[in-house]
Amino acid sequence: MPEILAAEGLSKHFGGLIAVNKVNLSIKKGEVAGIIGPNGSGKTTFFNLLSGFFPPTEGRMFLFGEEITHMPPYQRVMKGMVRTFQLVSVFNSMSVWENLVLSGIRFKERYTSARKFFFLSTKDDEIQENCLKALRLVGLESHASTLTSELSYGSKRLLEIGIALSLNPKLLLLDEPLSGLSDVEISEVLNLLHRIKSDLTLVIIEHKLSKIVNLVDRLCVMNEGHIICEGNPNHVLCDPSVRECYWGKEEIDQGLLQEKASA
Amino acid sequence: MIYTIVYGFTIGAILYFISIGLSLTFGTMRVINFAHTLTYTIGVYALITLIALLKGYFALVAGLAILLVIPISYVIERFVIRRLYGESLDYTFIATFAISLIGVDAIKWIWGVNPYPMNDPIGKYLVFSGLSVPIYRIVIVLIAILLFFGLNLFFKKTIVGKIVVASLEDKEGVRCLGINVDKYFSIVFVLGSALAALGGVLYAPISSIHPYMGLSILLLSFAVVIVGGMGNLNGTFFSAFALGMVMAVTARYWSQGAETMVFIVMAIVLIFKPIDI
Repeated sequence: MPEILAAEGLSKHFGGLIAVNKVNLSIKKGEVAGIIGPNGSGKTTFFNLLSGFFPPTEGRMFLFGEEITHMPPYQRVMKGMVRTFQLVSVFNSMSVWENLVLSGIRFKERYTSARKFFFLSTKDDEIQENCLKALRLVGLESHASTLTSELSYGSKRLLEIGIALSLNPKLLLLDEPLSGLSDVEISEVLNLLHRIKSDLTLVIIEHKLSKIVNLVDRLCVMNEGHIICEGNPNHVLCDPSVRECYWGKEEIDQGLLQEKASA
Repeated sequence: MIYTIVYGFTIGAILYFISIGLSLTFGTMRVINFAHTLTYTIGVYALITLIALLKGYFALVAGLAILLVIPISYVIERFVIRRLYGESLDYTFIATFAISLIGVDAIKWIWGVNPYPMNDPIGKYLVFSGLSVPIYRIVIVLIAILLFFGLNLFFKKTIVGKIVVASLEDKEGVRCLGINVDKYFSIVFVLGSALAALGGVLYAPISSIHPYMGLSILLLSFAVVIVGGMGNLNGTFFSAFALGMVMAVTARYWSQGAETMVFIVMAIVLIFKPIDI
């Protein structure tokens, strides 16, 4: 399968702190990759480097074979790489529908003259259609006109993913999409992820390992800025180095471990 | 009393024109823009230069003066303001204040320091029950109200407007939508500067024109922005008129204290609603 995203020797130093240390990672088209690791292991910093929020101290990144190391964030989105945030990032002062409408600009900007564009209405057909598609996908049709600040945290998370999907991404980076959600909400989000994974490539950072183990094709474990182990989830879970760094500090899902070990 | 009210509304309208730009640049870019005085003053000086050539066409000349400010503000944005994104507020303050000082000196160099007199371009009065109110002042207030509704429509109904509103809330979030936020900040900055120039050309005929005219009104506009809420466009409108009225009423009973009272109101607002930057 062709490679979509590649990081080569990617590092990020904050003063003396090395948050991400010479990480190599390659994401293949159509796969679902999970990145796990204890708090402060550099997962989110790694995402911030990939999405261009800050420049890497060293190393290079490639998206669809093209180097993107110094490309600004918005251009990476235009190329098809979209991310979500650990803390839900939606526009609270707007309605659910307006949140989605904003993303419509991405495919209009290039085809419309400057004058038309400046007064581009939120009622534009193409934009409306695109929003409706995303809204149906995440199942928030009944909340279209609700003010976003009135939504539950779980619905906000669905909306955030909906916004990301309305940008028609080829590669979606999800930063802890299940954090802060109730069990019911978690299953809603997981259902959504199962539904969309056949059409795109996903990279998921997650803490609740047991929840995503059935979703991902490949697991990467990060610790102190390194990827210490990667591969098939079952294989990774049984790796002694992973157990030592990760399970030692985190609550172990014993049942899951035994199940995986016996399988 | 009616004259005090009209005076209050006029000042309120002028403060509104100037404050929109300040509020937007602070809300979206986190830049405290002292260079705003420059676009305001340059608009006025462009007006008095052009009006000497085209006597009697005030509206046309005012329009031209505002258009002239657009490229100047674009240059300021492109080469100074854009480099200040994400910098600490002190830097933005120093850099833009420097621009305004350079601008004031340039104006003194080109036009001299002497005040220019200017006449009310309409010069007619609305007379009812023995009171006469200058029509020009009423026109200014009407333009401010029209602008308020126009901007509201723009920010609610157009995508560009929505992007600006979204950036006021969460700039990084907008960046993640694949939108080149900086480009829209440019538009916002130029729009704000053009509106300051609008305030300048409308106020010029009823105030005194000198190179420092922008500085005192800028400080008043900062008070408007703080009272109205940084980046809050509706708040800016109402606080501009409220503070305009505060000035007018104070001036009626204690003319020296008019501007002081604005800052007292601002201080009181800050005690109860501190801004967090």
